[in-house]
Order: sequence, then structure tokens, then C-alpha cells
Amino acid sequence: MSALARLLAALLSRPVTLAMMAATTLGYALLFLWLSGDIAGGGRGGVQLSLTAWQRMFESRGPLRFEPVGLVELGPWVWTLSPLDTLIALGLGLLLGGNLAGLWLARREPAACPRRAPRVAGLAALPALLAGGACCAPLVVVWLGLPIAGGLAVLAPWLIPLAYLALVLGLVRLAAGREQQRQAGRGGGR
Amino acid sequence: MMARALSTLILGLSLFLAGSAAAWAAAPPTLPRPEVPLAHSLEAFRQAVRSGGPGKDGIPAIDRPRFETLAEADGWLAPGDRVIGLYRDGEARAYPQRILVWHEIVNDAVAGESLAITYCPLTGSALGFRRGDGTFGVSGRLLNSNLVMYDRATDSEWPQLLGVAIDGSLAGRGLVPERLVWTTWGAWKARYPATRVLSRDTGYVRNYRRDPYGDYNPLAGYYRPESRRLFPVMAEDRRLPPKAMVLAFREAGGAAAVSLPALRRAGILRLTLGERGYVVIHDPELDTGWVYRHPEERDIDPAALRFGPGGVSGAGIAALEPVNAFQVMWFAWAGFHPDSLLVGEGGAP
Repeated sequence: MSALARLLAALLSRPVTLAMMAATTLGYALLFLWLSGDIAGGGRGGVQLSLTAWQRMFESRGPLRFEPVGLVELGPWVWTLSPLDTLIALGLGLLLGGNLAGLWLARREPAACPRRAPRVAGLAALPALLAGGACCAPLVVVWLGLPIAGGLAVLAPWLIPLAYLALVLGLVRLAAGREQQRQAGRGGGR
Repeated sequence: MMARALSTLILGLSLFLAGSAAAWAAAPPTLPRPEVPLAHSLEAFRQAVRSGGPGKDGIPAIDRPRFETLAEADGWLAPGDRVIGLYRDGEARAYPQRILVWHEIVNDAVAGESLAITYCPLTGSALGFRRGDGTFGVSGRLLNSNLVMYDRATDSEWPQLLGVAIDGSLAGRGLVPERLVWTTWGAWKARYPATRVLSRDTGYVRNYRRDPYGDYNPLAGYYRPESRRLFPVMAEDRRLPPKAMVLAFREAGGAAAVSLPALRRAGILRLTLGERGYVVIHDPELDTGWVYRHPEERDIDPAALRFGPGGVSGAGIAALEPVNAFQVMWFAWAGFHPDSLLVGEGGAP
């Protein structure tokens, strides 16, 4: 646990890794919200905000998908704002950002011995992207034109938790690898 | 002690019976022997039901619909946008497809009749049903890609295209259908200038300017005739492209689908299902069809037909018995009615 805390401290203390995490969090959250249909076209070019349905904030509309409470219109985009969907998207983005920045850090720090980076870090974030599509906005499956929505719908309840688990495991592996490195470095110095 | 236990038991039983009676009182009016040919057993239908992704009521039905005037709706509906129209006893209502794609069911009351206006985007089908004192919700499940509704009084499950309960205490019973018209906003408002239009103020926040599946104006995405379906079906029939829209109807004697291009060209089509004759009349303004039982070989003069608020009129039409018909994507109709007669391209001339 302390290894994970040390990794997070290292990521948050460096402007480069911090910027990487922030950019990934934002980028991933936007992609997630777009694929799940919360962000879509239809805007009329202006800026408009109306929050009219706070009472629906905790109403579920699918596995880990929640009712929007308001509408944000920004240029050509319309965002049906669900605070809980947004939190889930930001959480996934932050974990993915942590994995990518941790990977970058591991490659930059001097290595005492050869090590393998967790290559699955990026892939771990993919299931969650399909989750939104399986529930409420079949953007990807309509594009693909394949009759796979049935399979996706069955998997839908597991996709977001699976992505969270895989991303957390990725961070733990990175932290453990970094700790081994540190101990090997100390041992080599004696 | 014994008397107390007995009175508790009687009270509990009374409460249970009162609850059941209340549920049954709110159950939709049904037909014990629906005029729907069933190609499979109810058990086979139940086995073929699949999760659609959203949970029960994850697609929320509109229970308190609000309406606006034609002029107000003109501010956000284009003439080519699709609407689902209902005309009953002098009242006309339009339910824009771009609202129903997000809700699928409107529990409404029109001209004193409580109705469920239902629309399944995956099968392109809009069907109306009488609902009595009860309401319908979206189960989140699909059969042959088609919306499976549930009635909130008995929790019985009703595939929209079948209109027959396949599960629950009403299994095997059929809903009473109400004719809806799948047309464009421009055509509907021309015929019914006093129409009321379902408002976007539904009580839910949705992006009503966007359809998550594609577009009908112009045709794009999932709605293109050649595009592929997303969910499995019980039977496939390649006589038409999967999403080609057909005008469909059925009675106990069988099911029939009429290709719309063929109907447009012919104006009037006659066909036989079982022992019974039918006539299908194309309505060129709404681009839909009206189906009647037509037992005699009496000719109908196309030039004498008139189209108005009540549908089609003309010499001899009033004496004919109307049959409920609706437009639907071919693949879904064939999934439920694999033995369906097909009139037009790929089928009988």
C-alpha cells in the first residue's frame, strides 16, 4: 500500500506526469461520455445551461448509468449532464492517466535491472467504453453494423467494474515494480 | 391466543386479496383469444427474450404527457421529421419519433380512452393499445429485437409487435389494438391542422435533437434498409432487405405484409388470408395503408376514394370492416410471423 502511495506521490509531484494525468482524465472522460451518448451533436451554436431534474440524480437507467439532471449546450454539442456518469468517467480517466503516467515514469527512471511494463494498462480502459454503448447509445455497434449488441448487453453490467479493477491492478503492478526497483537500487549501492 | 392468530391470518389474507383485486382492476383490458397467429409457443417466445442493455424502466415511459399546438411544434419539427399520429373521435395527436425514440411508451388518454402509444426504434414499429386504468413500462428486454413492455398492474410481459402476453398472470391474453399512423410531420399537420403535439417537456432530460440510432430525415444509420440488425431473431427471411418498411396486419387466419413501393404503385391491393379476402388502400397523403375485410368481389373505384381525418371514405367503404395495420421493419415482422404472406417485391405481385 505504501508503494502505491509513493507512486501516486511521485506522479502528483511532477508537472509532466500531472499534466499527462489531467489530459488523459479529461480526454478519456469526454470519449466515454460521447460513446455513452451523454455528449452528442444537436447544439445550436450558443451556450446554454439548464438544470431541471436534480431529483433524478440517483435514478438508474442501466448498469452503472444514471439519469441526467440537466442540459449543457456548448456550440454544436449538447451534454445531458448526469453527475454520477461524469464521476464514473472521470474516475476511469484518472486511473488510466495514472497508469500511463506511471508507465512513462518507470521508463524515465534509471533501471537497475530490466523490467517489463504492464502493457495492458491502455487496454484495461476499453471495456468501459463499450459499456455506455451497450446500455444507452449503440453508437459503436451501429457503426460496426454487427449483430453483437445482444452479447454486449449481457456483458454490460460487468464492463465498467472490470475496467476499474484492471486499471487499479495496473497501478498496483506499477507501484510494486517501482518498489522492487528501489530496493534493488538500495541493495546495489551497499 | 388461537383467536388472535386466526384474526391476524384473516387480516393478512384480506389485505393480500385486496391488493390482488386492486392490481387486477388496474390491469389492461385484454382479449382471451387474441386474433394473432402465434408461430411459436409462449415458452419458446420466453426462451428467446434477451436483455437489451438498459434495466427495467431504464428507458422511462412518459406517464404525464404534455402537449403543445401545431404552431409551437413547428418551431422545432421539420416537415420531413417522422411522427406517430393518432386520430380518435375528433381528437388528433402527434407523437414525434425523436421524443419516442428516448421513451418508447406514452401512457396517454385521448377522447376519453386511456391508451398506450408505443414505439420500438429497433423494429420501426408504432402500435397503440388500450390500457384501462393501468400503465405500461419498458422492461429493458427484447424479443426479435422488439420492445418487450410490461404492465405495471400484473407485471406481465408483452412484446409490442405481438400484443400478446408471453409471461406473467396475463400470459396468452391479447391487448386491444388502436390504429396509429407512421407518417411525416408535414403530412400529418396538413391533414389534421388542429392536432396537438407531444411536448419535449417530458419530465426527463434527453437530447431530443438527436436520435441515438440514426436518422429518418434523411434516412441514415440503423434505419437504412440494407443495414444489419443488432439483436438475434427467431427466424430470418431474406425476401426483402432487413429494414425495409412494410405495412403489416394479421388476423387469426394468418399474417400479411405489403411492401410499401408496391402499394404506392398499385393504389389498391386485394389479397386473401386463409378463407378471408382483404383490400389494402394506399393513402397518398399520409403514405400509409388502410386495410379492410373485403369478402365480396365488389370493385372499389380508386377515383371515388377520398382521404380525410377519419381515413379513407368513398362508395362502399363505410360498409367494410377495418383491420388494424401498422408499418414495421421486415426482419422483425418475419421474426414473429415466419409464415407471413408478402405482397410486393420479393413476394406475390
